Amino acid sequence: MSDTAAPPGKGARERLQRWLPKLVLSPSCVLILFFVYGFIAWTSYISFSNSGMLPEYTWAGLRQWSRLWGSWTWGIALHNIWVFGLLYIVSCTLLGLLLAILLDQRIRAEGALRTVYLYPMALSFIVTGTAWQWFLNPGLGLEKTVQALGWESFSFNWLIDSNMAIYTVVIAAVWQATGFIMAMFLAGLRGIDGEMIKAAQIDGAPAWKIYLRIIIPQLRPVFLSAVVVLAHLAIKSFDLIVAMTGGGPGNATAVPATFMYSYAFSRNEMGIAAASAVFMLAVIAALIIPYLYSELREPRS
Amino acid sequence: MSFLHIDDVHKHFGETHVLKGIDIEIDKGDFLVLVGPSGCGKSTLLNMIAGLDTISEGELRLDGRRINELHPSRRDIAMVFQSYALYPSMSVAGNIGFGLEMRKVPKAERRAAIQRVAELLQIENLLSRKPGQLSGGQRQRVAMGRALVRDPQLFLFDEPLSNLDAKLRVDMRTEIKQLHQRLGTTIVYVTHDQIEAMTLATRIAVMRGGELQQLGTPQAVYDDPNNLFVAGFMGSPSMNLVPARIADRDGKLVALVEAGETTLALPIVRDREALEGWCNRQVMLGLRPEAITDPTSANRDGGEIFEADLEVELVEPTGADLYVVTRLGGISVNARMRPGSPPQPGEDTRFAFDVSRMVAFDPESEARIRTAVDADAPVQAASA
Amino acid sequence: MSAATPAARRFTPARMLLYAILLFFAVLYLLPLYVMLTTSFKTLAEIQQGNMLALPREWTAAPWREAWGSACIGLECSGVKGYFFNSIQIVVPAVLISGLLGAFNGYVLTKWRFRGHKIVFGLILFSCFIPFQIILLPMARVLGILHLANSTSGLVLVHIVYGIGFTTLFFRNFYASFPDELVRAAQLDGAGFFRIFFRILLPASVPIIVVTVIWQFTNVWNDFLFGVSFASGDSAPITVALNNLVNSSTGVKAYNVNMAAAMVAAVPTLIVYILAGKYFLRGLMSGSVKG
Repeated sequence: MSDTAAPPGKGARERLQRWLPKLVLSPSCVLILFFVYGFIAWTSYISFSNSGMLPEYTWAGLRQWSRLWGSWTWGIALHNIWVFGLLYIVSCTLLGLLLAILLDQRIRAEGALRTVYLYPMALSFIVTGTAWQWFLNPGLGLEKTVQALGWESFSFNWLIDSNMAIYTVVIAAVWQATGFIMAMFLAGLRGIDGEMIKAAQIDGAPAWKIYLRIIIPQLRPVFLSAVVVLAHLAIKSFDLIVAMTGGGPGNATAVPATFMYSYAFSRNEMGIAAASAVFMLAVIAALIIPYLYSELREPRS
Repeated sequence: MSFLHIDDVHKHFGETHVLKGIDIEIDKGDFLVLVGPSGCGKSTLLNMIAGLDTISEGELRLDGRRINELHPSRRDIAMVFQSYALYPSMSVAGNIGFGLEMRKVPKAERRAAIQRVAELLQIENLLSRKPGQLSGGQRQRVAMGRALVRDPQLFLFDEPLSNLDAKLRVDMRTEIKQLHQRLGTTIVYVTHDQIEAMTLATRIAVMRGGELQQLGTPQAVYDDPNNLFVAGFMGSPSMNLVPARIADRDGKLVALVEAGETTLALPIVRDREALEGWCNRQVMLGLRPEAITDPTSANRDGGEIFEADLEVELVEPTGADLYVVTRLGGISVNARMRPGSPPQPGEDTRFAFDVSRMVAFDPESEARIRTAVDADAPVQAASA
Repeated sequence: MSAATPAARRFTPARMLLYAILLFFAVLYLLPLYVMLTTSFKTLAEIQQGNMLALPREWTAAPWREAWGSACIGLECSGVKGYFFNSIQIVVPAVLISGLLGAFNGYVLTKWRFRGHKIVFGLILFSCFIPFQIILLPMARVLGILHLANSTSGLVLVHIVYGIGFTTLFFRNFYASFPDELVRAAQLDGAGFFRIFFRILLPASVPIIVVTVIWQFTNVWNDFLFGVSFASGDSAPITVALNNLVNSSTGVKAYNVNMAAAMVAAVPTLIVYILAGKYFLRGLMSGSVKG
């Protein structure tokens, strides 16, 4: 398909018609150029400056970057995002796939179940965090409830345990996003050619083998989408951690997003904050750009 | 003066040369069909006539007026699109009347015009429906109604039947033809279907690779093709193209065709002067399936018949006809015979060749070998 | 496509197990909501001693009243209601304006393509995926310069700018499925750029408008990062107020009030989800995969 040619024509009105499309697109382009790409450039520059509380435009080379990499908290944040991201992506993908396959067995009330699995996605992370903070509250929440049910020695205090707190965030995050991943897999399953499965059944393959050998391999694009979406959500995760643990106990659940926020707005260390933000952008860009490129490269003759 | 004149029109898309100088003239009331395989440039040409694509070089004249720079809506042209392009949120009446509304035609007048067209196309009962509630054939009618209501100087059709099923396509084809005959409108119609082209057109323009291959009446294009491409493209089953050698046999010019053990010497009737220069050279012979038949079906009044016994390779009955396949010059050749007592594969049967319909092509350039003035068939008819 | 044979529809032990697993997960997913709801109707005394999973022995709406009208957030003790209305004030213009811009962009990028339209779309689309940390610092300064810091108008601007990417994506993918011939036909009929948009494309866009509105509404309503970064005090949205209420109150934690406030923050998006879950899901999907 060729570019839609502007119809030929003379006169002011027709010239205006020819320019209108670009004119209408331009406000958005200006906004995006300034507020996205301009800001990215500004933040990147600041990460090479001496900026503290106020921006300072003298070049300081890699000073902020070396301070960032020397920071103990940043090390924890990187470690946490790695642990959190990995567990989050793997759990959501596996659980989502499992639920999708189970739901794809001509289930009664499939619609109702789907609605139940998906609703957490409509909630704010702050609401989710508040709810799970209460649910896992060591004093009054799950621990006490289970003890009241007769298991006196039951103990569940991960929320206040520096070594375990990050896992509570994983649990809440998985609870929130699994339904969405399930929906993606379900859509993928529904898109598979039924005749191929009939052929496999005629060949005598048992159901589990059909899934393992024929169906799941065909869901590869869905896996890719799921991983990209989840990774992107994980790196951006900020709200949930603030609401559940506030990054604590201590710095135990700090992630790059909370690190950046606290250096930017509480510690007035603009330079380091900018460097950490640029790092986050770089990771996401490395992930998203190839994905977007492959998704948008539609065959157009 | 011709009504629509496409004068040496070119189109470039960046580096690619899509149309390489097209010259077509038609008269008022003509039904011009642009036909060719996909990518031949026929749709681009149509869009250029409509004003939806710009013209890189050349001139487009409608009724003597240059329209290259005219905005599509001011060309007094209506178009029926392949996807019908019905406005999804408007009713059928709204769709038909939209063009009039944009031209600020008063409401009462508009309503009358819509009613008139709806009656003509027998879609009065659909006027309040939305396009989504219509069948393919109904959508097709609405799309035509939208074009007809404007009563334009020129109608453009872009593969309008390609989205219909086979039966409906034939019905709509008939209707379009009837409409053209009743209203006497001038139409430019794009299709890749050569049967549509044959049945509808008063003028056919066969295109390939951005070049016009032949322009003429359907019969001229069919009987008297300009080159191998046109010969092969028009007609179904397509023309048999058999390698042969021109020779002089006792003063008579013949085409020698290898047929298994023997060699047939088909007498040359058409383009004799031109073919004399081809003595002892290879040519490509073109014979329509209906020009090879059984001795009883052969048309002995008009033409010269040559008969031979050949081995039957395959028999394909279609009900109305019987296609018998034999082998000539190493190529499977289709012959159309009377149904009834079909010969058996492997047996010999008698074939009758109507050599007065036989044409020859230069196998190198693929061009037709023809005598400048051919008394047997009308020459490429640019204007009648 | 299901690999289940028709025979599998009968209730075999395997099918029972299947339903059991599915129901187990359903309960697991509903549990936090259930606990949130029941806690919000319990008295603090009952919470202190009692079982989290039990229904309230004595139903009370007091926590809801307190959360709405009198709970202390920071120094102010007038509940979350003001912040709730802040959120509405932010959501409505942000959704409308970003939606309209997205619709225009989608229209131009599919039906009035120009050289480089793909690059423009790619640049706009990428803005959906940037970690917003990258723009926090300069945005805070720009809002200060524009005198929009700590105001709901400032947040409206922020949400419009960073909403354009998604709204453009939705409308572009939707309009891409419309044949270009539609625009060509309308041009032949004599309609211009705006007329084609408002008379032909927009009336046919109801489904994608619903998807876009729901998506933007949910995103803007649930936003926390922009709210906490650019609006403090009186102009904060509900999510920021909720977090402040839950995580910075001193003394005895009023869990029932916290849960009631969380429910107040959750109810609008939950209602939208229950009423239009299909469109919500469609938005999620096209936000992740090409439509």
